[in-house]
Amino acid sequence: MKILIAEDETLIRLDLRAILERHGFTVCAEARDGIEAVELARSTQPDAALLDVRMPNLDGIEAARRIYAERPLPIVMLTAFRDRATVDKAVAAGVFGYLLKPFREGDVAPALYAAAARHAELLAARRRLGTEQPKRIDMELPSSSGHAWPVRIERAEDGSLDVRVVQP
Amino acid sequence: MRVLIAEDETVIRLDLKGMLEGAGLEVCAEARDGVEAVELADSAEPDLAVLDVKMPRLDGIEAARRILDERPMPIVIVSAFTEESLVRRAAEAGVYGYLAKPFREEDLLPAIATARARFDQLSAVREQVDSLAEALAARKAIERAKGLLMQNQRLTEQDAFARLRRASQTSGRPMRVIAEAIIQTLG
Repeated sequence: MKILIAEDETLIRLDLRAILERHGFTVCAEARDGIEAVELARSTQPDAALLDVRMPNLDGIEAARRIYAERPLPIVMLTAFRDRATVDKAVAAGVFGYLLKPFREGDVAPALYAAAARHAELLAARRRLGTEQPKRIDMELPSSSGHAWPVRIERAEDGSLDVRVVQP
Repeated sequence: MRVLIAEDETVIRLDLKGMLEGAGLEVCAEARDGVEAVELADSAEPDLAVLDVKMPRLDGIEAARRILDERPMPIVIVSAFTEESLVRRAAEAGVYGYLAKPFREEDLLPAIATARARFDQLSAVREQVDSLAEALAARKAIERAKGLLMQNQRLTEQDAFARLRRASQTSGRPMRVIAEAIIQTLG
Protein backbone atom coordinates (compact mmCIF):
# COMPACT_ATOMS: atom_id res chain seq x y z
CA MET A 1 0.00 0.00 0.00
CA LYS A 2 1.43 3.40 -1.04
CA ILE A 3 1.09 6.05 1.65
CA LEU A 4 1.36 9.83 1.48
CA ILE A 5 2.44 11.42 4.74
CA ALA A 6 2.04 15.10 5.55
CA GLU A 7 3.76 16.44 8.64
CA ASP A 8 5.65 19.68 9.09
CA GLU A 9 7.92 18.46 11.90
CA THR A 10 10.87 16.64 10.36
CA LEU A 11 11.51 14.33 13.28
CA ILE A 12 7.93 13.07 13.44
CA ARG A 13 7.91 12.69 9.67
CA LEU A 14 11.03 10.53 9.74
CA ASP A 15 9.61 8.53 12.61
CA LEU A 16 6.37 7.94 10.71
CA ARG A 17 8.20 6.87 7.60
CA ALA A 18 10.25 4.35 9.59
CA ILE A 19 7.14 2.94 11.29
CA LEU A 20 5.26 2.59 8.02
CA GLU A 21 8.19 0.92 6.27
CA ARG A 22 8.63 -1.45 9.19
CA HIS A 23 5.03 -2.52 8.71
CA GLY A 24 5.43 -3.17 5.01
CA PHE A 25 3.96 0.07 3.65
CA THR A 26 5.62 2.17 0.95
CA VAL A 27 5.91 5.88 1.67
CA CYS A 28 5.41 7.33 -1.80
CA ALA A 29 5.52 10.99 -0.78
CA GLU A 30 6.33 13.26 2.15
CA ALA A 31 4.63 16.63 2.36
CA ARG A 32 5.67 19.39 4.77
CA ASP A 33 2.45 21.37 4.51
CA GLY A 34 -1.12 21.10 3.29
CA ILE A 35 -0.49 22.57 -0.15
CA GLU A 36 2.29 20.08 -0.80
CA ALA A 37 0.02 17.29 0.44
CA VAL A 38 -2.68 18.17 -2.10
CA GLU A 39 -0.10 18.39 -4.91
CA LEU A 40 1.63 15.14 -3.97
CA ALA A 41 -1.68 13.30 -3.64
CA ARG A 42 -2.32 14.33 -7.25
CA SER A 43 1.12 13.52 -8.65
CA THR A 44 2.04 10.35 -6.72
CA GLN A 45 -1.40 8.66 -6.56
CA PRO A 46 -1.14 7.17 -3.05
CA ASP A 47 -3.50 4.43 -1.82
CA ALA A 48 -3.98 6.21 1.51
CA ALA A 49 -2.87 9.40 3.28
CA LEU A 50 -1.75 10.12 6.82
CA LEU A 51 -2.12 13.85 7.55
CA ASP A 52 -1.17 16.10 10.44
CA VAL A 53 -3.74 18.80 11.24
CA ARG A 54 -1.67 21.85 12.10
CA MET A 55 0.61 22.60 9.17
CA PRO A 56 1.73 25.79 7.44
CA ASN A 57 0.00 27.21 4.34
CA LEU A 58 -3.00 24.89 4.50
CA ASP A 59 -4.19 22.84 7.48
CA GLY A 60 -4.53 19.09 7.24
CA ILE A 61 -8.32 18.99 7.45
CA GLU A 62 -8.73 21.38 4.53
CA ALA A 63 -6.04 19.42 2.68
CA ALA A 64 -7.99 16.20 3.38
CA ARG A 65 -11.13 17.77 1.96
CA ARG A 66 -9.36 18.89 -1.22
CA ILE A 67 -7.54 15.58 -1.69
CA TYR A 68 -10.77 13.65 -1.25
CA ALA A 69 -12.67 15.89 -3.66
CA GLU A 70 -10.08 15.32 -6.37
CA ARG A 71 -9.80 11.56 -5.93
CA PRO A 72 -11.43 9.63 -3.07
CA LEU A 73 -8.91 7.75 -0.92
CA PRO A 74 -8.79 6.67 2.72
CA ILE A 75 -7.39 9.43 4.94
CA VAL A 76 -6.25 9.12 8.54
CA MET A 77 -5.52 12.24 10.61
CA LEU A 78 -2.65 12.33 13.06
CA THR A 79 -2.82 15.25 15.42
CA ALA A 80 -2.34 16.64 18.90
CA PHE A 81 -5.79 18.26 18.77
CA ARG A 82 -8.17 16.24 20.86
CA ASP A 83 -11.05 18.70 21.14
CA ARG A 84 -14.43 17.66 19.88
CA ALA A 85 -14.64 20.53 17.37
CA THR A 86 -11.49 19.47 15.53
CA VAL A 87 -12.56 15.81 15.53
CA ASP A 88 -15.96 16.81 14.15
CA LYS A 89 -14.37 18.95 11.44
CA ALA A 90 -12.15 16.04 10.38
CA VAL A 91 -15.10 13.64 10.41
CA ALA A 92 -17.10 16.04 8.25
CA ALA A 93 -14.18 16.23 5.81
CA GLY A 94 -14.59 12.48 5.30
CA VAL A 95 -11.59 11.01 7.14
CA PHE A 96 -11.63 7.32 8.05
CA GLY A 97 -9.34 7.48 11.06
CA TYR A 98 -8.11 9.92 13.69
CA LEU A 99 -5.00 9.20 15.74
CA LEU A 100 -3.89 11.34 18.62
CA LYS A 101 -0.32 12.55 19.19
CA PRO A 102 1.80 11.45 20.87
CA PHE A 103 0.72 8.46 18.79
CA ARG A 104 1.45 4.84 19.62
CA GLU A 105 3.25 2.87 16.95
CA GLY A 106 0.78 0.01 17.39
CA ASP A 107 -2.12 2.17 16.23
CA VAL A 108 -0.74 3.34 12.88
CA ALA A 109 -0.91 0.22 10.69
CA PRO A 110 -4.28 -0.98 12.09
CA ALA A 111 -5.83 2.44 11.41
CA LEU A 112 -4.60 2.34 7.81
CA TYR A 113 -5.79 -1.24 7.20
CA ALA A 114 -9.25 -0.56 8.63
CA ALA A 115 -9.52 2.75 6.75
CA ALA A 116 -8.51 1.17 3.44
CA ALA A 117 -10.96 -1.74 3.81
CA ARG A 118 -13.93 0.42 4.78
CA HIS A 119 -13.16 2.98 2.10
CA ALA A 120 -13.03 0.25 -0.56
CA GLU A 121 -16.44 -0.88 0.64
CA LEU A 122 -17.85 2.63 0.32
CA LEU A 123 -16.46 3.04 -3.20
CA ALA A 124 -17.91 -0.32 -4.26
CA ALA A 125 -21.36 0.67 -2.99
CA ARG A 126 -21.14 4.01 -4.78
CA ARG A 127 -20.13 2.29 -8.00
CA ARG A 128 -23.16 0.01 -7.80
CA LEU A 129 -25.37 3.01 -7.35
CA GLY A 130 -23.74 4.78 -10.25
CA THR A 131 -24.14 1.90 -12.68
CA GLU A 132 -27.71 1.10 -11.67
CA GLN A 133 -29.10 4.56 -12.31
CA PRO A 134 -31.72 5.97 -12.37
CA LYS A 135 -32.91 6.20 -8.77
CA ARG A 136 -36.47 6.80 -9.84
CA ILE A 137 -38.08 4.91 -12.66
CA ASP A 138 -40.62 6.55 -14.92
CA MET A 139 -42.37 4.47 -17.51
CA GLU A 140 -45.48 4.62 -19.60
CA LEU A 141 -48.15 1.99 -19.61
CA PRO A 142 -51.17 2.06 -21.90
CA SER A 143 -54.60 2.63 -20.31
CA SER A 144 -57.97 1.28 -21.38
CA SER A 145 -58.97 4.66 -22.74
CA GLY A 146 -56.11 4.43 -25.20
CA HIS A 147 -53.89 6.99 -23.48
CA ALA A 148 -50.51 6.18 -22.08
CA TRP A 149 -50.36 6.48 -18.30
CA PRO A 150 -47.11 7.76 -16.94
CA VAL A 151 -46.13 5.55 -14.01
CA ARG A 152 -43.51 6.42 -11.45
CA ILE A 153 -41.82 3.97 -9.09
CA GLU A 154 -40.11 5.55 -6.11
CA ARG A 155 -39.68 5.38 -2.39
CA ALA A 156 -42.57 6.91 -0.46
CA GLU A 157 -42.01 9.16 2.54
CA ASP A 158 -42.62 6.34 5.00
CA GLY A 159 -39.80 4.40 3.35
CA SER A 160 -42.02 1.92 1.52
CA LEU A 161 -41.69 1.47 -2.16
CA ASP A 162 -44.66 2.65 -4.13
CA VAL A 163 -45.91 2.75 -7.66
CA ARG A 164 -47.95 5.77 -8.54
CA VAL A 165 -49.92 6.70 -11.57
CA VAL A 166 -48.92 10.25 -12.36
CA GLN A 167 -51.93 12.11 -13.71
CA PRO A 168 -51.19 13.51 -17.14
CA MET B 1 -25.45 6.74 21.37
CA ARG B 2 -25.85 3.23 22.83
CA VAL B 3 -22.66 1.21 23.01
CA LEU B 4 -22.07 -2.51 23.49
CA ILE B 5 -18.75 -3.39 25.11
CA ALA B 6 -17.17 -6.83 25.11
CA GLU B 7 -14.18 -7.48 27.34
CA ASP B 8 -13.44 -10.50 29.49
CA GLU B 9 -11.31 -8.73 32.08
CA THR B 10 -13.62 -7.10 34.60
CA VAL B 11 -11.28 -4.27 35.59
CA ILE B 12 -10.69 -3.24 31.99
CA ARG B 13 -14.39 -3.56 31.23
CA LEU B 14 -15.30 -1.23 34.09
CA ASP B 15 -12.60 1.17 32.99
CA LEU B 16 -13.90 1.17 29.42
CA LYS B 17 -17.43 1.67 30.65
CA GLY B 18 -16.33 4.62 32.77
CA MET B 19 -14.54 6.19 29.83
CA LEU B 20 -17.56 5.91 27.56
CA GLU B 21 -20.02 7.15 30.16
CA GLY B 22 -17.72 10.01 31.01
CA ALA B 23 -17.95 11.05 27.38
CA GLY B 24 -21.74 11.02 27.55
CA LEU B 25 -22.29 7.69 25.82
CA GLU B 26 -24.65 5.05 27.15
CA VAL B 27 -23.21 1.58 27.72
CA CYS B 28 -26.31 -0.50 26.99
CA ALA B 29 -24.70 -3.93 27.26
CA GLU B 30 -21.58 -5.58 28.67
CA ALA B 31 -20.39 -8.90 27.26
CA ARG B 32 -17.69 -11.07 28.84
CA ASP B 33 -17.00 -13.16 25.77
CA GLY B 34 -17.65 -13.24 22.04
CA VAL B 35 -20.78 -15.37 22.18
CA GLU B 36 -22.38 -12.97 24.65
CA ALA B 37 -21.33 -10.07 22.44
CA VAL B 38 -23.13 -11.54 19.43
CA GLU B 39 -26.27 -12.17 21.50
CA LEU B 40 -26.28 -8.72 23.08
CA ALA B 41 -25.60 -7.02 19.75
CA ASP B 42 -28.98 -8.34 18.71
CA SER B 43 -31.02 -8.07 21.91
CA ALA B 44 -29.71 -4.81 23.40
CA GLU B 45 -29.90 -2.91 20.08
CA PRO B 46 -26.67 -0.93 20.41
CA ASP B 47 -25.65 1.73 17.88
CA LEU B 48 -21.98 0.76 18.08
CA ALA B 49 -19.77 -1.96 19.55
CA VAL B 50 -16.30 -1.88 21.15
CA LEU B 51 -14.84 -5.39 21.21
CA ASP B 52 -11.73 -6.92 22.72
CA VAL B 53 -10.03 -9.57 20.57
CA LYS B 54 -8.86 -12.26 22.98
CA MET B 55 -11.98 -13.48 24.72
CA PRO B 56 -13.22 -16.92 25.78
CA ARG B 57 -15.51 -19.03 23.57
CA LEU B 58 -15.38 -16.70 20.54
CA ASP B 59 -12.78 -14.07 19.73
CA GLY B 60 -13.73 -10.45 19.08
CA ILE B 61 -12.96 -10.58 15.37
CA GLU B 62 -15.20 -13.56 14.73
CA ALA B 63 -17.83 -11.93 16.94
CA ALA B 64 -17.53 -8.77 14.80
CA ARG B 65 -18.06 -10.80 11.64
CA ARG B 66 -21.21 -12.42 13.03
CA ILE B 67 -22.58 -9.13 14.34
CA LEU B 68 -22.03 -7.47 10.97
CA ASP B 69 -23.82 -10.35 9.25
CA GLU B 70 -26.85 -10.15 11.46
CA ARG B 71 -27.25 -6.54 12.48
CA PRO B 72 -24.65 -4.21 10.94
CA MET B 73 -23.22 -1.51 13.18
CA PRO B 74 -19.91 0.34 13.47
CA ILE B 75 -17.38 -1.76 15.38
CA VAL B 76 -14.11 -0.67 17.01
CA ILE B 77 -11.67 -3.36 18.12
CA VAL B 78 -9.43 -2.85 21.16
CA SER B 79 -6.58 -5.26 21.65
CA ALA B 80 -3.17 -5.69 23.20
CA PHE B 81 -2.25 -7.60 20.06
CA THR B 82 -1.60 -5.68 16.87
CA GLU B 83 0.21 -8.15 14.66
CA GLU B 84 -0.56 -7.81 10.99
CA SER B 85 -2.45 -11.08 10.58
CA LEU B 86 -4.93 -10.13 13.31
CA VAL B 87 -5.35 -6.60 12.05
CA ARG B 88 -5.96 -7.80 8.49
CA ARG B 89 -8.51 -10.33 9.70
CA ALA B 90 -10.31 -7.56 11.58
CA ALA B 91 -10.26 -5.23 8.57
CA GLU B 92 -11.65 -7.99 6.36
CA ALA B 93 -14.34 -8.77 8.92
CA GLY B 94 -15.56 -5.19 8.54
CA VAL B 95 -14.37 -3.27 11.61
CA TYR B 96 -14.00 0.52 11.41
CA GLY B 97 -11.28 0.97 13.98
CA TYR B 98 -8.56 -1.00 15.76
CA LEU B 99 -6.88 0.45 18.84
CA ALA B 100 -3.88 -0.92 20.69
CA LYS B 101 -4.29 -1.51 24.43
CA PRO B 102 -3.74 0.16 26.77
CA PHE B 103 -5.42 3.18 25.20
CA ARG B 104 -6.41 6.58 26.48
CA GLU B 105 -9.89 8.06 26.47
CA GLU B 106 -8.70 10.55 23.87
CA ASP B 107 -7.71 7.67 21.57
CA LEU B 108 -11.08 5.99 21.83
CA LEU B 109 -13.46 8.89 21.29
CA PRO B 110 -12.19 10.00 17.84
CA ALA B 111 -12.15 6.33 16.77
CA ILE B 112 -15.80 6.07 17.75
CA ALA B 113 -16.69 9.33 16.02
CA THR B 114 -15.06 8.35 12.71
CA ALA B 115 -16.49 4.81 12.88
CA ARG B 116 -20.00 6.11 13.40
CA ALA B 117 -19.81 8.73 10.65
CA ARG B 118 -18.31 6.45 8.01
CA PHE B 119 -20.74 3.64 8.88
CA ASP B 120 -23.70 6.01 8.48
CA GLN B 121 -22.29 7.19 5.17
CA LEU B 122 -21.97 3.63 3.84
CA SER B 123 -25.43 2.71 5.13
CA ALA B 124 -26.97 5.65 3.30
CA VAL B 125 -25.36 4.63 0.00
CA ARG B 126 -26.39 0.99 0.50
CA GLU B 127 -29.95 2.00 1.24
CA GLN B 128 -30.08 3.86 -2.05
CA VAL B 129 -28.70 0.81 -3.84
CA ASP B 130 -31.35 -1.39 -2.19
CA SER B 131 -34.22 0.94 -2.98
CA LEU B 132 -33.10 0.97 -6.57
CA ALA B 133 -33.03 -2.81 -6.69
CA GLU B 134 -36.49 -2.83 -5.15
CA ALA B 135 -37.78 -0.39 -7.76
CA LEU B 136 -36.45 -2.60 -10.53
CA ALA B 137 -38.13 -5.62 -8.92
CA ALA B 138 -41.42 -3.72 -8.71
CA ARG B 139 -41.30 -2.87 -12.38
CA LYS B 140 -40.60 -6.50 -13.24
CA ALA B 141 -43.50 -7.71 -11.07
CA ILE B 142 -45.94 -5.31 -12.71
CA GLU B 143 -44.85 -6.30 -16.18
CA ARG B 144 -45.14 -9.97 -15.30
CA ALA B 145 -48.59 -9.60 -13.70
CA LYS B 146 -49.82 -7.66 -16.71
CA GLY B 147 -48.61 -10.43 -19.00
CA LEU B 148 -50.31 -13.10 -16.89
CA LEU B 149 -53.60 -11.21 -16.92
CA MET B 150 -53.44 -10.84 -20.69
CA GLN B 151 -52.77 -14.54 -21.10
CA ASN B 152 -55.17 -15.93 -18.52
CA GLN B 153 -58.04 -13.53 -18.82
CA ARG B 154 -57.56 -12.81 -22.51
CA LEU B 155 -57.30 -9.12 -21.87
CA THR B 156 -55.64 -6.53 -24.02
CA GLU B 157 -52.55 -4.88 -22.57
CA GLN B 158 -54.59 -1.76 -21.84
CA ASP B 159 -57.31 -3.66 -19.99
CA ALA B 160 -54.80 -5.72 -18.06
CA PHE B 161 -53.06 -2.62 -16.83
CA ALA B 162 -56.37 -0.89 -16.10
CA ARG B 163 -57.38 -3.84 -13.95
CA LEU B 164 -54.12 -3.74 -12.02
CA ARG B 165 -54.52 -0.05 -11.42
CA ARG B 166 -58.16 -0.35 -10.38
CA ALA B 167 -57.29 -3.11 -7.93
CA SER B 168 -54.56 -0.93 -6.51
CA GLN B 169 -56.87 2.06 -6.15
CA THR B 170 -59.85 0.22 -4.66
CA SER B 171 -57.72 -1.76 -2.23
CA GLY B 172 -55.48 1.16 -1.36
CA ARG B 173 -52.38 -1.02 -1.83
CA PRO B 174 -49.33 -0.33 -3.93
CA MET B 175 -49.43 -1.74 -7.43
CA ARG B 176 -46.45 -3.94 -6.66
CA VAL B 177 -48.39 -5.77 -3.95
CA ILE B 178 -51.30 -6.35 -6.35
CA ALA B 179 -48.90 -7.52 -9.03
CA GLU B 180 -47.22 -9.98 -6.68
CA ALA B 181 -50.59 -11.35 -5.58
CA ILE B 182 -51.56 -11.89 -9.21
CA ILE B 183 -48.27 -13.65 -9.93
CA GLN B 184 -48.86 -15.93 -6.94
CA THR B 185 -52.37 -16.79 -8.11
CA LEU B 186 -51.80 -17.08 -11.82
CA GLY B 187 -48.07 -17.60 -12.17
